[in-house]
Amino acid sequence: MRRSDNSPIQHNSGSNSRRRVPYILAMTLLSVAALAALMTTTHRAVVHGSSSAVDPGPRPLPANAGKFYSTLTANQNSITNRLTQIFTEVNFVAGGPLVKTVGLGPRFNSNSCSSCHAYPAVGGSSPPNNPLFSIYQLQGATNSMPYFVTTNGPVIVARFPYKSDLHTPDGGVHQMFTISNRTDAPGCTTMVQPDFDTARNTNNIIFRQTTPTYGTGLMELIQESDIVANMNSNLTLKQSLGISGHPNYSDDDGTITRFGWKAQNKSLEYFSGEAYSVEEGVSDEAFPSENDESIASCLPPFPVPPGTNKTKGVPDDRNDTGEAPKAPVNFPGDLLRFTLFMRFLAPPTPAASTQSTINGLAQFNAIGCNLCHNNSFTTPKSSIAALSNVQANLYSDLLVHHLGPGDADNVSQGNAGGDEFRTAPLWGIGQRYFFMHDGRTSDIVQAIEDHRSSSNGTYPDSEANQVINSFDALSPTNQQDLVNFLRSL
Amino acid sequence: MIPKETTEAKGNDMAFSNEKNPQAASNRRKWVKVVVPMAFLLAICTAATAYFPKSAKVNTTKAGALRQNVVVPGVTATDPGPRPLPATAGNFLPSLSGNEQQIEPSITTEFNRAHDVIVTSPTDGGLGPRFNGNSCVQCHAYPAPGGSSPPSNPLFSLYNANGATNTMPFFETSTGPVLEARFINVPGTTTPDGNVHQLFTIKGRTDAAGCGITQPDFTTASSQGNLALRQVSPTYGDGLIEVIRNVDIINNMNANLTRKSQLGITGHPVYAGNDGSIQRFGWKAQVRSTLLMAGNQMNVEMGVTNDIFPNEIDQTPGCVLNPVPETYTNYSPGILTEMFPGDAERTSYFIQWLAPPTPGPSSNSTKNGKTQFNNVGCVMCHTTSFKTPATSRPALGNITINLYSDLLVHHMGPGLADGLQQGGAGPDEFRTAPLWGIGQRLWFMHDGRTNDIVQAIEDHMSLGNSQYPASEANKAVTNFNNLNSTNQQDLVNFLRSL
Repeated sequence: MRRSDNSPIQHNSGSNSRRRVPYILAMTLLSVAALAALMTTTHRAVVHGSSSAVDPGPRPLPANAGKFYSTLTANQNSITNRLTQIFTEVNFVAGGPLVKTVGLGPRFNSNSCSSCHAYPAVGGSSPPNNPLFSIYQLQGATNSMPYFVTTNGPVIVARFPYKSDLHTPDGGVHQMFTISNRTDAPGCTTMVQPDFDTARNTNNIIFRQTTPTYGTGLMELIQESDIVANMNSNLTLKQSLGISGHPNYSDDDGTITRFGWKAQNKSLEYFSGEAYSVEEGVSDEAFPSENDESIASCLPPFPVPPGTNKTKGVPDDRNDTGEAPKAPVNFPGDLLRFTLFMRFLAPPTPAASTQSTINGLAQFNAIGCNLCHNNSFTTPKSSIAALSNVQANLYSDLLVHHLGPGDADNVSQGNAGGDEFRTAPLWGIGQRYFFMHDGRTSDIVQAIEDHRSSSNGTYPDSEANQVINSFDALSPTNQQDLVNFLRSL
Repeated sequence: MIPKETTEAKGNDMAFSNEKNPQAASNRRKWVKVVVPMAFLLAICTAATAYFPKSAKVNTTKAGALRQNVVVPGVTATDPGPRPLPATAGNFLPSLSGNEQQIEPSITTEFNRAHDVIVTSPTDGGLGPRFNGNSCVQCHAYPAPGGSSPPSNPLFSLYNANGATNTMPFFETSTGPVLEARFINVPGTTTPDGNVHQLFTIKGRTDAAGCGITQPDFTTASSQGNLALRQVSPTYGDGLIEVIRNVDIINNMNANLTRKSQLGITGHPVYAGNDGSIQRFGWKAQVRSTLLMAGNQMNVEMGVTNDIFPNEIDQTPGCVLNPVPETYTNYSPGILTEMFPGDAERTSYFIQWLAPPTPGPSSNSTKNGKTQFNNVGCVMCHTTSFKTPATSRPALGNITINLYSDLLVHHMGPGLADGLQQGGAGPDEFRTAPLWGIGQRLWFMHDGRTNDIVQAIEDHMSLGNSQYPASEANKAVTNFNNLNSTNQQDLVNFLRSL
């Protein structure tokens, strides 16, 4: 179910709506009815509310992102090629061409970072053609393609909100593929893919698409005090629009987490460690366990011929303390090197502004998009000079907000509830192909409308409702200019 | 104000060990008069869940409140005390590679480095603005670097160093354990907090001119029952613990279910939200790996921002005195290979390379003690050993490690509950503390409440109340209390041999 009610919602006093019990009851009944109707369909007709704007589509290549900062030091520059190699390397189970290209699986979504972080350049998000189709049966693997992956759709990963009892929270990623029968995983033949069809039939599957990594080095350094100060600014206006939002916090050091669709990850190194293990099955220094230990023959070491590069055991990827000294950049595990790669990637460059995009930005701010999609933060002084005191035009407040039942995925992560999502940074969306956490649309006008959803018995209204109403109420020219502005980013 | 724990413990040690001491007998009679009726009431209130031990008293003490040793009729064992130095821990694994042995001194330097505020290289400085200590080794000190609290509290030589104007929080004592403080709720609210609130600030330090932040109000927090204290855990053998397979932890959890059920023992893992694997480190099993622990601790305990935790915990203007992160990957030309990663990474190597403690030689007493340990059911949580799987770190693979922990969290009753929920561990749940090395440990339990290992055993027992169920250890501890004197003492001697 995507949205229970596509009609524009007229709230004179949005902040009071949750207390109107009869209203909620009525909406709940409507929602249930709508849910029943919608559950039988996998695709929903695109309805643009009352907007007449048209998405001009992604700006064509060349890429407006993917460059390293021009301000890197000579020594930082000298390792960027190597870092790119690491980010783009294809991992094998065992027997890869290089020592550190082993450890894939036993469960995985893909075999390299850049297969999904691909567009418009290495480090980005889903490319127009789904890369998983050239990966899932590599090396003799016998995977079938899950129903939800389409050749020209986004790369999405699956999570099950609940365990098979449909009650106990799960929320974890269930990798699409296994290494069963791959020639580089001799002996592993019996690990089966998750039962995504049953999950679909029990309405127990949600999806998340790839987020781009450009400019994330700036995002991780933004000071908590600045995030909180921004949260506490324009309170009157935010309250009148029904916008609140709050940070997600790290259980470790209590600071604000920023990465991922629910702002669940603290830093690039934390994220790298998680993604390496979760997405590729390469256990690493932060998360040293294989992601499924239930079948011994699918765990390292594998019986590959002597002399073949192989994963010797956990963690699959590690630093090189055990070996003779080599170039410093080859000493740490991949997880630190992914971190450096992302940290050095500059934010996307917006297109030249036009009369239309200048007015679009004005409309964007006037109707209140910017109250969550906060135009910019400035980084504090950093020990990495290229990231020091830089204004980052990320268009995000780095907070999580209630987005209503229409977006809710029933997965709670840290302080972010089942209906809450981090304000997605908008830099680079001019060349983005797919929108929203589950990549549900490639139409940016639809993406705007998808921010709206009214409360049901479980979740309150989307905090974006009144802003979207305001968007719909704009003149056609102003609507189109706002959309053009977004596509200029 | 709180009486010093050491004094308290010592007084009761005497009462505990000397049956003929009239003062002790009198104390016990007072206890019996007060505690037995109260315990009876409690038992009635919580009859559905509480197990009522027939001979032990209830410990309902909260962190920071008056503590008195439990007096248990029939318990005659005495703690022989920590085995004397030389240290039985602190060596690196003998199987480190040649290169690892070669770079080990530079890695050790990192663990030992005292941090001042101002950063002059990617490996030094960065202290504060809030902090508990200024080096790893300061608290992870005994019986050797990597360990736990030393006999003399190192914070007393730190808190006013370099002109700092800190006062010493009331719960730190010069001969007590190093304790860090967490607040249960955000002060003045009912919003759960749970974070560490660092003891000290850099205010007044000559290298921190302009920073005026003050220390947290621990006294008020204590008076409101909002303070939870935690002591230092040793790091020996953690590189082995982190690679134990999840499936082995689960299989062990599901072993001996009948016996566990008889004893009232359950327990469960705490899972990482990130990859779904089982977390193993920290008093509530809240940390997954040595790398994440190193990064976390550098920022939380010392205030040194790093590649994993790059944001200062307090950004009050005038107190952020260094570019962030303060320790970071060193891109300098010609840098030595092992100096390339930041301190979080390199500190994790140090921890990974530390070998487990070496037990003392076994004797007839310790052999029988181990048998008793198994018989009374201690071993149902303090699992004797796990075996590491094949690992890419050659020194760590396929080793049987005698850690005496199941790496699960268990309900420990109101007596130990600290009110803090961390991840999947509830406010009354704690990870089974690994027992390797306790032969030379000076302080016991999560809050270091006792230095008497017999008392530590008794502290595992606590009746349920309306808030928390009974401790899962109650029957095992009751079984211990019911052992004859020799068997009790042998069990204690076994523990002190680890």
